[in-house]
Amino acid sequence: MTTTAAPATTAPVVGFDQVSKTYGSTRAVDGLSLRLYPGQTVALLGPNGAGKSTTLDLLLGLKNADSGTVSVFGTSPREAIVAGRVGAMLQSGGLMDEVTVAELVRLACSLHPKPYRAADVLARAGIAQIADRKVNKLSGGQAQRVRFALATAGDSDLIVLDEPTTGMDVSARQAFWATMREQADQGRTVLFATHYLEEADAIADRVLVLHRGRLLADGTAAEIKAKAGARRVSFDLEGDIDEAALRDLPFLTAMDVSGRTVRIQSADADATVHALYGLGVYPRNLEVAGLGLEQAFVAITEAEEAKQS
Amino acid sequence: MTSLIKLELARALRNRKFLFFSVIYPSVIFLLVANQGDSRTKVEGTGLTLATYMMVSMASFGALTAVLMGNSERIAKEREGGWVRQLRLTPLPGRGYVLAKTASAAVVSLPSIVVVFLVAAAVEDVRLDAWQWLALTGAIWAGSLVFAALGVALGYLASGDAVRPITMITYFGLSILGGLWMPTTTFPTWLQDIAKWLPTHAYAALGRSIEQSQAPHAQDVAVLAAFFVLFAGGAAWLYRKDTLKA
Repeated sequence: MTTTAAPATTAPVVGFDQVSKTYGSTRAVDGLSLRLYPGQTVALLGPNGAGKSTTLDLLLGLKNADSGTVSVFGTSPREAIVAGRVGAMLQSGGLMDEVTVAELVRLACSLHPKPYRAADVLARAGIAQIADRKVNKLSGGQAQRVRFALATAGDSDLIVLDEPTTGMDVSARQAFWATMREQADQGRTVLFATHYLEEADAIADRVLVLHRGRLLADGTAAEIKAKAGARRVSFDLEGDIDEAALRDLPFLTAMDVSGRTVRIQSADADATVHALYGLGVYPRNLEVAGLGLEQAFVAITEAEEAKQS
Repeated sequence: MTSLIKLELARALRNRKFLFFSVIYPSVIFLLVANQGDSRTKVEGTGLTLATYMMVSMASFGALTAVLMGNSERIAKEREGGWVRQLRLTPLPGRGYVLAKTASAAVVSLPSIVVVFLVAAAVEDVRLDAWQWLALTGAIWAGSLVFAALGVALGYLASGDAVRPITMITYFGLSILGGLWMPTTTFPTWLQDIAKWLPTHAYAALGRSIEQSQAPHAQDVAVLAAFFVLFAGGAAWLYRKDTLKA
């Protein structure tokens, strides 16, 4: 597993050590160990049910682990929150209704040990123009922005976001990530859960792939792609296809033959294609294309499931 | 935490329907009921005129409305909606939410008591000594804590859909059977026997003993104290259960 290197002298912002959490017979989080370091922007990537929300709940002290330890800035999650070091925005986090946006943001500021001015928080979250609106009269995207304002009401060192752009349109999403980058540029650690793979690819400098409560991959988006077989090679063959010989091609990570068409995923497409000609076959309609992170992600999870079954 | 109390209070004061039912409505019922007898009619076995008797009942009823109705429904809905979870991501201590709710309810319950007293004194000529007015206000206000605890417990017990009917049944059951709407002396004996064990009955009896310049009955104080322990304990237990589940 590739781990994004961090200086050994830096104390981790978040440390999970063999953490497990079970609901009934479902292991939501299964022996998870990870460390986040200051200044990183980390995406927690996984399909629904991968354990992302449970991982964030454990990190924020909303749930207690069955086994293992969770530490945030070297203390318990709750202590870190009380010290004002963590700002968080949850999908499941509701808002107080029948109050205005400004009143709610002022409340969040007054509860934070190191608060910003409410006017600044409203402006930064892009909700200054709806400050006087009642919270229960907001659209889904606006409510998300209010949640973001609550998460950034003070000078926190770690910002945790669970599917933050749910309900936002494309332009709102872009504006949101621009705001988020500012936070990261100020040296904050940002951890966000998402199943929008393009978000992880575009925003995060480290991607954690979570599947069935376990960490499948940990690296940069580029490394994740490489791990899954970075390129896709496809071609048609005439006559009998010697599948065994094809399967022995160097750097091949997956192969699929349907009719005349062979599709290969390769960690090094150049070497694979070179060896392909060495087999003495004449591939037609040869195409070599890069895998998006999404396909990389599917490849990693499929490989994992194949290993388990 | 004071900021949350202030915001809860601002929200309660903005809610006209809630204010009407907790502050105005008890006085309206008081006027309707108290007018039925003439000023010399005494309520059986109490030595109090109907107006004096009903004044305590309705002040208690108003305080009950203020502390029970708002909190149980709000807590159940905010638990379901995730606001309680959101607050747990702030440095606010967990009990701060419940305390803020109780404190803001207490602020609304005070005017609901005082308005009934003012209407009773102005319209129905109810006259008491100064110490009695003060003691009545204090006793009814402090006694409402029992029902504030009940409201919190119901809020943590019921789901967002079920909370309103459950609260309504509890609220009307306690009000009517406890004798807040009409003297329990009008009930059949078997019902009177049940009523005297209800916290609302003990609550109103506390106020009535002040009007009669008597020491409160030990049984009433014991009943109120027992229910307070029950409701507050239940609320604390349900709250802890909910926190672990969230």
